[in-house]
Amino acid sequence: MQDQTITITIDEQGHSTLDLEGFAGRSCEKVFDDFRSGDKVKIERKKPAYYAGQQIQREKSQR
Amino acid sequence: MSKYGVSITELREEKYLVDALREMGYRPEIHPEAVPMNSYYSEQEAKQANIILRRHELRGACGDIGFARQPDGRLTLIADELDAYHGYGEKWLGRVQQLYKEKQTLAMARARGYILKKREVIQTKEGEQVRLQFAVRR
Repeated sequence: MQDQTITITIDEQGHSTLDLEGFAGRSCEKVFDDFRSGDKVKIERKKPAYYAGQQIQREKSQR
Repeated sequence: MSKYGVSITELREEKYLVDALREMGYRPEIHPEAVPMNSYYSEQEAKQANIILRRHELRGACGDIGFARQPDGRLTLIADELDAYHGYGEKWLGRVQQLYKEKQTLAMARARGYILKKREVIQTKEGEQVRLQFAVRR
């Protein structure tokens, strides 16, 4: 299983870039919300691995 | 890889704002109810704020600088326009917000069980950036 890491970069204006690796689906959303801490989101992009968890969930529910 | 986002920091939590200002060497006054600030333009209606840095500890400033609680919960900067030219403009506010965001992030991470793995300060053309790396407790 890929390591789960969270990298937050706070720039000179105090705004932040959040990069999550190794997360998928709901756990990804929870971590994202924790680190957003109520700030206004300017850009939000899901990476391919985000959907990997959802694919597994879907396959399980189809069985 | 799973998700990427950019957020605009909003000052909402008094504790981290006060801690950030203290780290910058100031002694902020904290007022649950907003109080008047001293302004260079004494004829103007006095502005009010909840967290105030008095002019005597702001080198070169024309008036006090404060942060006022808004109805939506945000704390916004209240300052004389002139002071933006005296070192208390966007760059200064950026530093306040950077310290605030770092303190808020570290406190949240501690409380929710994330593990700080690394802290780096990166020099860029625009200024210093702070990079924090966390892992999830298993």
